Amino acid sequence: MALDHRPARPPGTPDNSGGPGTAGSSRRGPAWLSATGRRRPNGLAVIAGVAALLYAGFILLPLGLSLASSLTDENPLKAESSFVGLDNYQHLFRDGRLLHSLAFTFALAAVVTLAANAVGLGLAVLLDRSSLPYRLMRTLAFLPQVLSGVIVGFIWRSVLTQNGLANALLMDAGIIREPIGWLGTPFMASLSIAIVMAWVLSGFTTVVYLAALQAVPRDLYEAATVDGAGAARRFRSITFPLLAPATTINVTICLITVLKLYDVITVVTGGGPASSTESTALYIVKVAFTQNQFGYSSAVAVLLLVVSTGVSLLVTSLLRRREVSL
Amino acid sequence: MTVLTGLTAAFRRLSAPARAVVAVIVVFGFISPIYLALVNAFKSTPEIAASPAGLPLHATLDNLRTAWERPDHLIQSGLRNSLIVTVSTVVLVVPLAAALSFYLSRRSRRFQATALAVLATGLMIPPQVVLLPTIRILGWIGLDHSFAGLVLSNVSGGYLSFAVFVYAGFLRSVPDEIVEAAILDGASDLRVWWSIVMPLVRPATATVAIFLSLWTWNDFLNPLFILGPLTGQTITTGIYLTIGQYSVDYGQLFGIMFLAGIIPVIGYLALQKQFISGLTSGSGK
Amino acid sequence: MRRKFFIAAGTALALTALTACGGGDDDNASSGGGTTTLTYLTFETPSLTSTFWNGSIAAAEKDVPGVKIKRITAPSTDRDGYAKQLQASGQFPDLLQSISPNNFAPAGLLKPFDDQWVDANFLLPKGNAVGGKVYIPPTNSQVIPLVFYNKKLFAKAGAEVPKTWAEFMTACARLKASGTTPLELGGADPFAASMPLVGLISADVLGKNPAWITQRIAGTTHFADPDVQASVQKYRDLIKAGYFQKNALSVKYDDSIKDFTKGNTAMYPMGSWLLGSLPKENVDDFGTFPWPTDDGSVVIPFSVGGSMAVSAKAPDVTKAIAFAKAWSLNPDNLKLLIETDGAFPMIKGKGLSDYGVTVSKAFTDSYALVTNKNTKVDAIGWVTNDNALPPGLNDEFYSMAQALFTKDDVAGALKSLDEKFDAAAKS
Repeated sequence: MALDHRPARPPGTPDNSGGPGTAGSSRRGPAWLSATGRRRPNGLAVIAGVAALLYAGFILLPLGLSLASSLTDENPLKAESSFVGLDNYQHLFRDGRLLHSLAFTFALAAVVTLAANAVGLGLAVLLDRSSLPYRLMRTLAFLPQVLSGVIVGFIWRSVLTQNGLANALLMDAGIIREPIGWLGTPFMASLSIAIVMAWVLSGFTTVVYLAALQAVPRDLYEAATVDGAGAARRFRSITFPLLAPATTINVTICLITVLKLYDVITVVTGGGPASSTESTALYIVKVAFTQNQFGYSSAVAVLLLVVSTGVSLLVTSLLRRREVSL
Repeated sequence: MTVLTGLTAAFRRLSAPARAVVAVIVVFGFISPIYLALVNAFKSTPEIAASPAGLPLHATLDNLRTAWERPDHLIQSGLRNSLIVTVSTVVLVVPLAAALSFYLSRRSRRFQATALAVLATGLMIPPQVVLLPTIRILGWIGLDHSFAGLVLSNVSGGYLSFAVFVYAGFLRSVPDEIVEAAILDGASDLRVWWSIVMPLVRPATATVAIFLSLWTWNDFLNPLFILGPLTGQTITTGIYLTIGQYSVDYGQLFGIMFLAGIIPVIGYLALQKQFISGLTSGSGK
Repeated sequence: MRRKFFIAAGTALALTALTACGGGDDDNASSGGGTTTLTYLTFETPSLTSTFWNGSIAAAEKDVPGVKIKRITAPSTDRDGYAKQLQASGQFPDLLQSISPNNFAPAGLLKPFDDQWVDANFLLPKGNAVGGKVYIPPTNSQVIPLVFYNKKLFAKAGAEVPKTWAEFMTACARLKASGTTPLELGGADPFAASMPLVGLISADVLGKNPAWITQRIAGTTHFADPDVQASVQKYRDLIKAGYFQKNALSVKYDDSIKDFTKGNTAMYPMGSWLLGSLPKENVDDFGTFPWPTDDGSVVIPFSVGGSMAVSAKAPDVTKAIAFAKAWSLNPDNLKLLIETDGAFPMIKGKGLSDYGVTVSKAFTDSYALVTNKNTKVDAIGWVTNDNALPPGLNDEFYSMAQALFTKDDVAGALKSLDEKFDAAAKS
């Protein structure tokens, strides 16, 4: 599922207060009762029901199965699996490779979120003009979001590899004498992944910040200028606070995207060198298919789910509170 | 933060031409990997080695032709399969999500909030968490490693959640009076939904269709594990499985990338306005 | 309403397309008496190209009427992982090239070959047997690793072909002094990165105790033992002395071959398959020698295999076995494997000359290592017989080789490997 963004609204939003028309209208009985109170056949309920059933079958049921499997020692090569209680979960804490993957995943999430937001805001401010060239440039800025993770991965891999385009250009330009091992050490490889993901997500953050910038009422700026506020002051006191909702969305999307990242890492480094760029999402798949431990893999998956949901909700609620206070 | 303030202030103080120059340089730098992929798709491999960043002076269509004429028909079958999966997914998600969203909007506030919260999980779940059980479930109903199975799992997951949320947002702007009036007139809920509400939330349908098409098209994990090599490859998994470890022939690589990536890019360029308005209407809320 | 029409039409179209393209279910088993289609999982390397596979498959198909092969290619060298992935989604291939049977045999997924046929045809019938059964015909063998060296660079540096470890270090020092990088490492690809470690442990530990791996599986020896530590420490010594290329961890296998054959490095410890990649123009510039032991005795890390396993669940197991047999024994096939992939043939009753191959002196010298009497040990992390490492351990072993390139903690790495070994062996 390449579900990287939800432009609609962040999860758990308190705005779920009723759909159309609840404001002001009285809550009547079930809508499928006609005015005379007789039941009518309700095609809508059927379709809605199908949708709900599908969702239950493919999200809720698998979650349950994952949970169940995490309590067993399920192994595809063994015919039977047995209940092992919380053994898998206890093992989680002693699993160095898992702990490293969590550290890497969250560090990546933090770095990428910061970078993508900084770049996005910078680009948005830079491109916030309405003439044609600027519109063109805004169009280009979103392009990283349009390419699939696999293509992004292959393009960046050919840029960053030992005798790739980056080194070729830098050496041609005389900036470096020897090729840089962009993917060569654990640190450099992690940095490279961060660069790629910040690039991808900057496409998104730029557009969102641009929209937010354009929504700021111009007369606020005029009033401030009349009052003698300089450009920096205007930005700090007017623009930045009003960008808060956009920041909330951007941060949430960045976090969610990195926490479930699979395709880009698989293509650029494959998790290497020495599992240093192995995100937890990658580790889940490795445990299942290289070590044949479906049960343990499910436990790691449950852990990832709990931690990602927790972090996302925490960050989102903090940001929303800031939105309100600003 | 101070750096940012200073920087943006500096941007704002730039004269118009200076700003334009800075903007062009920055944006070009930002886009450079795509630029590199694009120009090198039309150069022969030796030319790429000689001048990695230059424009194709001896532009050649050889890379594209080789990619297109591959005996395994990687590009053709990949594009065709991606199209099938994408269209099927979108065509099914739109009515399902819209119906569910409208149905929920007519329920009590608490019911709605609970339902939407449950749906929100679908958005946050990393797909790896449900991958194995999903494959198993598909196996139970005999749809494992099939297109129908992939479409089914696409339709029923986070995409559905996303679409429901988008519709929920737009449904607020549908005046309650119109809906009530139609019901009083004796129209069934289904009819109200289809004939009255759906036309009014057309922007939502556009947003859902556009983003779901893009994401399904670019999806990697699910087609890789659910479809499998025998059933067929989508364009994303096909590229990954074929290019694998050993092709360092940059010309060919970029040729394949170009043919694989050009369709979403063209779609985006043609529908830019809808993309952006879809994003911003959400962020505005 | 037009929109209604379009949506309905679109849905109908989509659904028809879906059913037309088939639920994708078993298009494996066609009619009973007609042609059976079998899926064959292969993998590609610079030597084993698409052309090679298609050619060898076509040749074997001719020998087995009624069989049509559908080839699938693993996306990376991790064929076992890919096969498991396919198994999980119900598409286990019918024929699997060069996998590790211990990953699948315990689950009853593979059909063994009959002992009579194996004994009649191969020099080492039980060379890669698992639990006494042969799941992959032992058609050829490999030495993993051999140390390939560039004669010209050696001459230029005044270095001599080493027999002992001390001589090896001297040669490295001389090469470095003459301005050549002594050792090549394909560090970006885990399997290539592991070669020096495989060489060290095979020479030092297994050379003195060939039953070491068996004992490790039984739990009486450990990776953290002093002899293993001392051996692995030598790897760190090589790294600290700067004998590998500086950016070794970012060099992919493909590039490492180019690097070495172009003469940028003097030595390359790699599987004997590299013999097939030596450039024809100056093939005699290269030679091989076995990884040096402390005392100069010859220890050959050895692995037998080279063919495919058959799935017990194939739609027509008899035909599948027949195809596998035909492919394994096909002389043209073997000729190609010898020439392009450095394979050492292990077919009974046939000598090298029987294949009509043209091979380099390096090949014949290396082949002598196989046929001569000397200490042969199992190449750790590569053999697929009872001494194969538990599932996932090859991965961890290769990963450790990469990690040790930048981290100096040999004791810690080996202890961690032991823990993972025990965990995997238990399950």
